[in-house]
Amino acid sequence: MHLKMSCALAAAGLLAVTAATTHANDSLMELLENDDLWATQLGNYQGHRYSKLSDINRDNVNNLRPAWQFSTGVLRGHEGGPLYVGDGRLYIHTPFPNKVFALDLEEDGRVIWSYEPDQDSRVIPVMCCDTVNRGVAYADGKIFLNQADNTVVALNAEDGEVLWEVSNGDHTQGETMTMSPLVVHDKVIVGVSGGEYGIRGHLTAYDIETGEMAWRGYSQGPDSEVLIDPETTLMMGEPIGEADLGVTTWPDGEWERGGGAPWGWVTYDPELDLIYYGTGNPGTWNPDQRAIDGEPADNKWGITVFARDPNTGETKWVYQKVPFDEWDYDGVNENVLIDVEVDGENRKGLAIIDRTGFGFLMDRENGELITVEKFAPETNWATHYDMETGRPVLDEDYSPFTQGVDVNTTDICPTAMGAKNMQPSSFSPETGLMYAGINRICMNYEPFETDYVAGQPYVGATLTMMPAPVENGGMEGRMGSFIAWDPVAGEVVWEVDERFAVWSGALTTAGDLAFYGTLEGYVKAVDIENGEELWRFKTPSGIIGNVNTFRHEGKQYIAVLSGVGGWAGIGLAAGLEDPEEGLGAVGVFSALSDYTELGGVLTVFELPDS
Amino acid sequence: MIRRFTSRQTSRFATPSLVAVLMAAGLSMSALAVASSNSDKDDDAVDTSAAGEYLVEDGKVDPDTYEGYIAYTRSCQACHGPDGLGSSFAPNLVRASERRDFAEFARTIAGGREVQPGQVMPAFADDPYVLGNLENIYSYMRGRAAGDIGRGRPRIIEHLEEEISDETLEAEEKLEDEAS
Repeated sequence: MHLKMSCALAAAGLLAVTAATTHANDSLMELLENDDLWATQLGNYQGHRYSKLSDINRDNVNNLRPAWQFSTGVLRGHEGGPLYVGDGRLYIHTPFPNKVFALDLEEDGRVIWSYEPDQDSRVIPVMCCDTVNRGVAYADGKIFLNQADNTVVALNAEDGEVLWEVSNGDHTQGETMTMSPLVVHDKVIVGVSGGEYGIRGHLTAYDIETGEMAWRGYSQGPDSEVLIDPETTLMMGEPIGEADLGVTTWPDGEWERGGGAPWGWVTYDPELDLIYYGTGNPGTWNPDQRAIDGEPADNKWGITVFARDPNTGETKWVYQKVPFDEWDYDGVNENVLIDVEVDGENRKGLAIIDRTGFGFLMDRENGELITVEKFAPETNWATHYDMETGRPVLDEDYSPFTQGVDVNTTDICPTAMGAKNMQPSSFSPETGLMYAGINRICMNYEPFETDYVAGQPYVGATLTMMPAPVENGGMEGRMGSFIAWDPVAGEVVWEVDERFAVWSGALTTAGDLAFYGTLEGYVKAVDIENGEELWRFKTPSGIIGNVNTFRHEGKQYIAVLSGVGGWAGIGLAAGLEDPEEGLGAVGVFSALSDYTELGGVLTVFELPDS
Repeated sequence: MIRRFTSRQTSRFATPSLVAVLMAAGLSMSALAVASSNSDKDDDAVDTSAAGEYLVEDGKVDPDTYEGYIAYTRSCQACHGPDGLGSSFAPNLVRASERRDFAEFARTIAGGREVQPGQVMPAFADDPYVLGNLENIYSYMRGRAAGDIGRGRPRIIEHLEEEISDETLEAEEKLEDEAS
């Protein structure tokens, strides 16, 4: 399919709109339009993770070298990445205890200030997948941090002083925070974590000046609390019609512990004035406990893309990617806002390289589906999506619900980790392609009945994982790849196999480069055209953070946090099972612990002065 | 349906006195320390509730050890990784169960341990589910350490399960008889 990108647009189109209708957060918008800066975790509101900088490029990247490194003093998994807002400092964060550092770029990372909250360590055991945090946000001279213990805090970026803090949840009930906040207008938007602890997910907006709650939209329950109007909120382009589906699509009361945690990234379209995010798995992993009278029930609005008005939280449209989850396919992956030409027509697109193994292209104005295709060919839980109903067409051989409780359903692809987890993708408006690290892992999944106890795990399934089958001469036993994906045609353009899942956020630049990190600890630069490796550097620990870039005093830098952990650090540490071996086979495939150890380090790269 | 073990439901939650013992400062664990070897395991033994004891037949395990697997998966795996093998930040408990007797194992679970700020083994002293399964978890780990129990979810030895089912069935029939 022919694809023509018309994407300078989000920014250009924005400028064309009058200030009266569009003011996002004025100071933040200004920063996001400055090509030298990296002012939000995903690089811009649209989630492109793309930089127009080209000082570091295909011809000279082989000279890239570390300028300086900084140990965070924290051992566990370091997700997210550094921000640069043009004030001569890098702002970085750590997993629990959630330190924040302002580091001086003029003095090789001297600590200008640091912040370390005092948190109850009992929050640690209610974090399902390591004590990660996906980074701070910046706006109007403030740094916003979501602490593990549910405290949302605003710091003075100048000196790290606390300006206000507010509690967004209760860790004794299994609620925590890991996601990176996003500032839109005068509000900071945050989501809760805890889908494995029977929490009830919600997205909440707080006033950036006072910390006062502006609105909260739940992921399930009555429409009045989800902030849905069934007469106006769209689903597949039509009003939902039926009221309170967030209650009626659950067995009695189960929605109250229905998960749907929005722990991933939030993106924003300033022109439409809509925010986009996805919700996580619907409560217990045992689908039998979420069925109604033994029949599958949609469990709305788990694993759903929400488009909300950032001012009021009202839901403009919803799309449930996976009704009645049977695999833990959290729907939190980033909704990348791209303007594309489809069959000769300009569309305001929303693209997802999804946990399910499918790549979605939707219309971000009304939530209609445009393209849904597999980016991971091993994906077998569904054969395809029905474009009329928007529902996946399941293969019952890989349906744990159909196979039954206490039955081990084998060789399901992808694994519960997803064909892509939280590691954010990148979109290059120059090539029109998306770039992402993905996971090539399959699973056996066995649901069992579980009881809900507040603050306790509410999982109800065991799973074992194994590398996905290798096709077309791929690397034997590989557990990950880095891919270039055509979101309109729904095709993989090229892919590079990696030994382990690629759990690091991608970056593309106008220097014809794509960057990513590996779980062994390499930062790699590849040719954006074909994936050919042009440069690598081994950091001290595995990388689950995101590669960011910026220019300070006329010099371009690449910066990344290393520090292995996250779910990858739990699930892959000891190695996966060989499906061909019997009980007791251990470490047949590569074990992460053979390659890397803990430790958070920021590495800042530069080209040598010529 | 969930498998029911009517004869052992009490073992899923610690008795108040056990909780009290564990919560007491110093954690007087000696009374609980039933460290035992699996070498003298008796194939006829049905009662394997003692810590560290387990029964394996054809790769299948006794119900208590199975409960140990479930409890591990539910409350420990998030840090210690699948099948007790450890994660990037928390130790391998299969090996730990070889080095530590039950008293020490239980003391660590109940009291927690701070390796360094941010790297913390939480205390489970106020978690009756975990405390009620200390012996079962230890048995499961010992079975893993000896190589008798593999990775993944073990099955339960049928005749032990059947015995329980028969008991349940008889009890239910009796209730029905009384009702009619």
